[in-house]
Amino acid sequence: MKNTARAVMQTRFTMLSPHDTIKEAVIVLQSASKEHGRRVFGMMVTDQEGKLVGMLSMYDIFLFLRPKHIEIWGEMDDIDLTGLVGEALSRADTIRVGDVMTTSLISITPDTNLMMIVDIMIKKHVRRLPVLDGKEIVGIVFMSDVFDYLLEKFMQ
Amino acid sequence: MAIITKSNVLTGIKVREAMRSQVVRLFVGDSLNQCVRHAIKYKVNALLVADNNDHAVGVVSKTDLMSAYYAGLPLDLSLEAIMVGPPLCCSPDDPLEKALEYMSACGVHRLYVSEDDGKSVIGVLAYPDIVGLLYRLCRRCKRSLVSRKKVETVELFEEHIIAKEIMSLSVKAHLENETLFEIMEALSEYRFGAVLIRDKGNAPIGVVSKTDLIIAYRHGFSADTKAETIMSKPVRACRENDFLAEVIRQMIFSDVHRLFVHSEDSERITGVLSLTDAALVRSGSCKACTASRFLTPHG
Repeated sequence: MKNTARAVMQTRFTMLSPHDTIKEAVIVLQSASKEHGRRVFGMMVTDQEGKLVGMLSMYDIFLFLRPKHIEIWGEMDDIDLTGLVGEALSRADTIRVGDVMTTSLISITPDTNLMMIVDIMIKKHVRRLPVLDGKEIVGIVFMSDVFDYLLEKFMQ
Repeated sequence: MAIITKSNVLTGIKVREAMRSQVVRLFVGDSLNQCVRHAIKYKVNALLVADNNDHAVGVVSKTDLMSAYYAGLPLDLSLEAIMVGPPLCCSPDDPLEKALEYMSACGVHRLYVSEDDGKSVIGVLAYPDIVGLLYRLCRRCKRSLVSRKKVETVELFEEHIIAKEIMSLSVKAHLENETLFEIMEALSEYRFGAVLIRDKGNAPIGVVSKTDLIIAYRHGFSADTKAETIMSKPVRACRENDFLAEVIRQMIFSDVHRLFVHSEDSERITGVLSLTDAALVRSGSCKACTASRFLTPHG
């Protein structure tokens, strides 16, 4: 097999809807990790027609969970964090995936060369890339899979 | 001869010590939809708008977005149509007190921080940032509640400011079946950030803030929608006699800009206290700092 996205892309993936709430997205991320036997840090978001409209990563969720007055938190060593995330998620029950997802997307094709993928990941600071064949989503490439594949190749 | 000058806990502090260096910005051609998304995602009340040369040319606040909702403007409209410009700026080396006075004189809630008259912006200063600074100063103070709790003497606690001393008494309440149009009109007229929502029995059941309204705008709710559909609940509140330091701490922990204040009867809302109110006190959270606002001799 050529050293292209096809060699490393995952073809089993779970997707989110832009209408899912953040709380629902967190649950889907957790269950997808169990289902795929690997930690899932981000997912593709598709509309009703299955068209890719965004990506939601843990980074996006962190941005949303991060307290607004973060500079003060560094000094509040006496604060009890119990329930902090639960409270943030319940406060955000009207916020949907579509409100916070990343919409400026970079996608690749199954034939994109692995070194091109490495280059995109470095330059654009992304850890996962959706793979499109025309308009159809056929897979997702994770940085860790690219790394493992290249390491294995170098070792041979 | 001694020169008498007024000073408070902020005296001598520069803007750069209180400003936030993360400035969320978009470009003039970006849409209102994108602006709402950024306001939600980055939890900011306003976004800086830059032209194609990356020069700051305007500001779009939640109030502007709410007005666009009220006017029925489409979400794909570009920011150029509603932005207010140019952005008001101060220098990072300006005294914080001067910046506060400028904000007050101009009737704005934030200043952008620039070293070259607004061409490039390096930070933003808003009232909650000043509260943040005050809160940090307070926590480092030997007289703070954090330190005092170890001592536990009642008379020392008496020095601390309580919520009802600085809360705003004018609380606007609306009924759950009033429309978002009516809520937006009230918010514009009274220049409030949020209104209390009551049920028919007059019990407080929720809050509609500008944030709730711009989310409703993005989610496609008609402005005829009833307040109860989009309100945040429960009502986040504190007691009249709670210490200001604790109230600020609660706002910071819960990531909210204001708490409603109730009497011993939790359904009787008597005021509202925002981070802006706390900033306008312009001293710390206890009267030891208030005392420092009196005339002090220098020289």
